[in-house]
Amino acid sequence: MAKNTPNLESVTTINRDGSRYFLFPADVDGKFALMRRIVGILLIGFYLLLPWIPVNGYPAVFLDIINRRFHLFGITIVAQDLWLLFFLITGVAFFLFYITAFLGRVWCGWACPQTVYLDQVYRRIERWIDGDAPARRKLADAPLSTNKVVRRVIKHGLYILSSTLIVHLFLSYFISIPQLWDWMRTSPAENWGAFLFVIASTLVLYGNFAWFREQLCLIICPYGRIQSALIDDHTVNVAYDEKRGEPRGKIHKGEATSTLGDCVDCHRCVQVCPTGIDIRQGLQLECIACTACIDACDDIMDKVNRPRGLIRYASSSALAGGKTRFIRPRTLLYTGLLLLGMGVCGVAVSGVKSVEATILRMVGMPYYVTTDTIRNQYQVRLINKTTEPVHFSIHAERGPAGMQFTGFDADQSLGAMAEETRTVIATVPRSNYQGPFEVEVEITLRETGLVIERSIDFLGPDPKLLQAHDSTPKQDDDHDEKKSDHAHGN
Amino acid sequence: MSTSHQPPNEPLPEGVTLREHTYDGIQEYDQRLPNWWLFTFYGAILITLIYWFSWYDADVMRTDEASLEHAMQQIEAERLKSVGKLTDDAFWAMSKNQQLLAEGKAVYTTNCVVCHLPNLRGKEQGGIGESLANNTWLYGATPMDIYKVVMDGSPNKASGMQSWSGVLGPEKVSRVVAYVLSHHQADAQKQATLSSQ
Repeated sequence: MAKNTPNLESVTTINRDGSRYFLFPADVDGKFALMRRIVGILLIGFYLLLPWIPVNGYPAVFLDIINRRFHLFGITIVAQDLWLLFFLITGVAFFLFYITAFLGRVWCGWACPQTVYLDQVYRRIERWIDGDAPARRKLADAPLSTNKVVRRVIKHGLYILSSTLIVHLFLSYFISIPQLWDWMRTSPAENWGAFLFVIASTLVLYGNFAWFREQLCLIICPYGRIQSALIDDHTVNVAYDEKRGEPRGKIHKGEATSTLGDCVDCHRCVQVCPTGIDIRQGLQLECIACTACIDACDDIMDKVNRPRGLIRYASSSALAGGKTRFIRPRTLLYTGLLLLGMGVCGVAVSGVKSVEATILRMVGMPYYVTTDTIRNQYQVRLINKTTEPVHFSIHAERGPAGMQFTGFDADQSLGAMAEETRTVIATVPRSNYQGPFEVEVEITLRETGLVIERSIDFLGPDPKLLQAHDSTPKQDDDHDEKKSDHAHGN
Repeated sequence: MSTSHQPPNEPLPEGVTLREHTYDGIQEYDQRLPNWWLFTFYGAILITLIYWFSWYDADVMRTDEASLEHAMQQIEAERLKSVGKLTDDAFWAMSKNQQLLAEGKAVYTTNCVVCHLPNLRGKEQGGIGESLANNTWLYGATPMDIYKVVMDGSPNKASGMQSWSGVLGPEKVSRVVAYVLSHHQADAQKQATLSSQ
């Protein structure tokens, strides 16, 4: 098949007939390749080790969906606190915008799992089994032979192995390592849902990293599409210094080269590009800022004794001879919004307590009028999110004279991770009742002294109507009460 | 951001063509979509047809209503399983099991004691709720009758005895009923049933 030449009008990896044009990006060594490898391996290690590290008795990250408790670095979040996810999701998205305004798509090249796993795991396996770029291309074009079949089987076997490892560890984020180990040793039929998930996800990962690769960044991921809206002339991108490089041309020994720029038109930057673009045509949505072209060009510049940095991290403004301004309206606005968001998030997270208590009215009538009292019934719901038993003491401000609470003095201990209800009855003598009122209740956690304040409404009939009723002839009243007494159930 | 490096009159790369129409001087490229993308599109159409057929014609798939019904029945089945088969005799047997009684007592002390008092005597000793220790039962004296009152609440809505099925669930309710029954004798209870009828 003819080689596709990168251009701004079409996508290199898609042939004119719509078929895929497979790239064989050349290996690259250098400062950035080394740093990216270190960052990538640290990130992979971090993700894979998280479920193994215990913090406060739980794995560092354990999203226990079955019990609806989410353990994150020692903090336990229950389903009731799930609204905090709003901050996580919007925060991650906004931080991506924020960093893009300064450094372009630095996320894509350095931290995105697609790039990290592809470059540090799958391409390494490919390099190891199939050899360098020309060897890989040769093998791909070669007819079927024992050598090719053996290499393909080993390579794809390792791909599948890596994919299934990643998927298993990902699953352990949700079920923890001991549980995963349990499930792995039992028949698939016992946990067929999880089994199917692992099989399907392994296939998806394998397909993605073995075959799909850069198509995800070019066509599926929306980030590249919106980059033009996120960056401006002062955003630092991976860029080719056109002023210095052009007009490009090969060096011919003995010829005067003074009319030509520094670019020797060696196409090395194109050969190493994993998305198949020519960075010399300017910033394009395909560019994942992987810095391979920087290393490749620096290597060539060293060889021809020209200064490094013909392709480098630079803003459009710097390339045009100006300065890169990091403080500008866009970044000031973004910083302000980011700080605002972080502040609100901080307030919200600090409001999350290790125990929760709510007081609700019991189902049924809002109040009960008996011979000499008015009665309200409540239910206290106590939630303990810690792994230790806790004890509460509940104290209520007294209302009218003779008001009584039953249930607050009872034993209010709660086991580890327990969620229980208590019944509380409040009564006010009929004679002292002056209308509905509010009562402040303080629920104190004995272990830490944490105080949860709740207010409850004491409801009752209109006091005037009650008095009017009470002052009607005694005969009738007695009759009424007998009736209601009789109707009382168990 | 990207500055075009291609003067407008330079020829397009080989195979790239422009569509003929022009809107306000803007033209567009005529390029093929990636084949893999088209396959997903055709695949989606195919799945729609299969889905349509199996839903509306072949009667293979359950309607939303039927799957809701099915799920509800599954929940109900799970519930029944967790409670075991409840009968009057099963309740009397539970009322002799020390472990179940301990569970029942724990539920009683956190939820019921406020109205029915620790010794179950309720109104007899100034409590709010009915006495559960004497032999008078307003809504039936069999264990299943008592279970029903705790689960669904008292038929007398003015009494304040709410439905506990949502708060405690059938399992805990069955334990607490067993705890109450442990204060009674099966034979005497049968007598009580007769007297209330």
